Amino acid sequence: MLFIGSSRSKRSSLDGSDGTDQPSRTPRVLDSDGKDVTPLSLHQAESGETQAKPSKLFMEEVLSSSGSESSSSLFCSRFSTLSFETSLTSATETSSPLTSLPQPPTPHEVPREPDTVTEEILDEVVDICLTETDSVSLLDIPSTLVSEDSDDAETVRKTNIQYTELCKRRLCSDKFVAHAAQTFWGAPKDKEVQCDNIVMVDEGTVAKVWDIWDSFHNQHESPASVEANYLLPSTVDTIKGPEEDGERSDCHSFSSDPQRVLLSKSLLSSLVIMERSILTNIIHPKLAAYKGLPILKDPDSVPEDEQGSQEAEDRPLTPTLEPLWDFRCEITNECSVTSMVWNRKNPDLVAVSYGDLDSTKHRPTFICCWSLKNPMWPERVFQCHSCVTSLDFSANRPSQLAVGMLDGTVAVYDVRRPDSEACVASSSNCLNRPLHPVWQVIWTKAEMRLTGREREEALVSVSEDGRVIRWAFSSSGLDNIDLMNLGRLKVNMSSDVFSAVTPGFCIDFHPKNYGIYLIGTGSGLIYTCSVFNSKHCLEMYQAHTSPVNHIEWSPFSPDLFLCCSADWSIQLWKRGHFAPMLSFTSTQRVVHTAKWSPDWPTVFAAINEQQLEIWNLASDVLTPTIVHYNTPGAAMTELLFAPGTDCALVGGSDGQVTVYNIKNLNVGQKNQVDGLEDVIRSRLVVCSSTQGELQTDSHHI
Amino acid sequence: MAEVEETLKRIQTQKGVQGIIIVNSEGIPIKTTLDNSSTVQYAGLIHQLVMKARSTVRDIDPQNDLTFLRVRSKKNEIMIAPDKDYFLIVIQNPSD
Repeated sequence: MLFIGSSRSKRSSLDGSDGTDQPSRTPRVLDSDGKDVTPLSLHQAESGETQAKPSKLFMEEVLSSSGSESSSSLFCSRFSTLSFETSLTSATETSSPLTSLPQPPTPHEVPREPDTVTEEILDEVVDICLTETDSVSLLDIPSTLVSEDSDDAETVRKTNIQYTELCKRRLCSDKFVAHAAQTFWGAPKDKEVQCDNIVMVDEGTVAKVWDIWDSFHNQHESPASVEANYLLPSTVDTIKGPEEDGERSDCHSFSSDPQRVLLSKSLLSSLVIMERSILTNIIHPKLAAYKGLPILKDPDSVPEDEQGSQEAEDRPLTPTLEPLWDFRCEITNECSVTSMVWNRKNPDLVAVSYGDLDSTKHRPTFICCWSLKNPMWPERVFQCHSCVTSLDFSANRPSQLAVGMLDGTVAVYDVRRPDSEACVASSSNCLNRPLHPVWQVIWTKAEMRLTGREREEALVSVSEDGRVIRWAFSSSGLDNIDLMNLGRLKVNMSSDVFSAVTPGFCIDFHPKNYGIYLIGTGSGLIYTCSVFNSKHCLEMYQAHTSPVNHIEWSPFSPDLFLCCSADWSIQLWKRGHFAPMLSFTSTQRVVHTAKWSPDWPTVFAAINEQQLEIWNLASDVLTPTIVHYNTPGAAMTELLFAPGTDCALVGGSDGQVTVYNIKNLNVGQKNQVDGLEDVIRSRLVVCSSTQGELQTDSHHI
Repeated sequence: MAEVEETLKRIQTQKGVQGIIIVNSEGIPIKTTLDNSSTVQYAGLIHQLVMKARSTVRDIDPQNDLTFLRVRSKKNEIMIAPDKDYFLIVIQNPSD
């Protein structure tokens, strides 16, 4: 209750606190100036007659009974219009105060209609009276207490006494009978309702890491291909069995057609891998011996006879060749091995050519690529039209295989392709091609190195007509450039001797100095030539009387080379010395080939028709350390050392390639190049003593 | 087709090979050299094993995938080559 008025002190005399029965007597408030500033009642008589009356009545009642009410003493003036219940009997009047909503108090002064707002109006002091609205009673539970001072206290007391006596009498009186009454209940009725069966299915999946990854990566693909992708096995908790999972997740895949599966390429590759695994299982100990790994005994296999193993240990460790396995299959049974070469990049892959050098017999000729992992079936078979005499794998492009044939063709095969399209380039279209048998093809690196790239490789072949040709790839196959023509060779600048057409049988490039190469000829002469000089040779070595079959630089010692020929001998030369350092003869047979061991500097092997000999210069220069006789009926035709292992491959005329393990060679672990050097030096001492005599004899032709 | 047949024949004649089963991705055997009950049993059991193995491999690295599975037991060795369309199962006893 706020009054905003002038700031004049007020004096108020309130005397309504005693609650007298004089509602008309109003307290008057006078301020210091004597003005009547009595707060007016909230409820004005001007608001309405009808309303005023009940409230007035009410007011009187309230105030009349205020004496009996304890709560009325709270009101000190007649501001409140709160309703009160005086007694239980005045229940009818309870509703009236609730229904009479408080009227908005009429303002004491009705503000003038502001038609013109002038300065004077603004400056006027206006009294504003704020009044409170009527209180609204929401709940009223009147007290049932009656004060002892009230008028009807006596009647209430009497009623109470009557009631207690009534209650006492009730207990044992006949007037009161317990009587049950029945409440009326409606009759229940069953009503049936039918609805569709609500099928509930539990479904759960496990979102694994790869599941999430797959979804991410597959969301960009088309829906058709997504279904063709692999099945996402989610563990679904349904009543259906696991077979249905497969059906549901892959209903659009192509695998429903079994024929399609059987024809698919991936099945073939899986089968190849499977075959290898099976075979590896079977020949596992042999492969381990090949690789030099210790052989682990299978714990589940039957233990072998112990006596036999003891005997084996007692025997002294002599150098022997132990055959490990054969590369053999039914298609190779009729041919003889003509050439073997390892792949430069994949040490498990060997290319073997089969054919017959005797051109009168029409035997099939082909090249097989064998893998160590599968000795029963070659990885690739390529048919050739003419007998293959020589093979070489390229180092720069490991899948390219150069082939030299008996009819003079030089071809390059790509082993990655199937048989029909494997021949990448051939010299058959070349104008200047050799028409005589090509005896050796070799890949060699060029002298110059182009910046950033590997050394370029060139293919060189040597053929029967004495031409040494370098081949290059061109659009129509191979193109050739003559490097050397042995027929038109001048050995010295001075002399003018033309040697006759001499067939070249073998060629080898120096391992370090790519421009120098050796040629072995059919007349037994060996020439050192340079790539840059096609007219002259650098040196000539003469010792053999028959065609030189094979010539090879030593991979360990520079300027040492080995050659073998049909005159039953193997010669070891040092470049610059025109007499052979060492000469080896063991049997009176044509030595087909002699090769240095790629791992041991002092070891080389040679085959003639009946036996394989392994020579170790560090131990004995007169006799071979190991001599291995082959099975009767088949002659040995080719030899190949396996680099990195103790093994050698021997090819025979029955089409069989046998892998031998060279055991107990006792080469020692020290730097064996020294061993070779020592041998050479000791020979040099011997030679120098006879050098004087020899020099007059050895002539530069 | 001929190569597949040839390779299958060669595998079958290798030492110790007890059986070859080719199962499609739904678990139905397409080609088998064993009797029916064994085939069905192998097909069902191995399917679950391969799923689990593949899941394991791919969980560790989702870009990786299972290419070959070998189970060596006392009596024999089961080799499984899984693919998205089929499983190739070979049972071998190498010490036979």
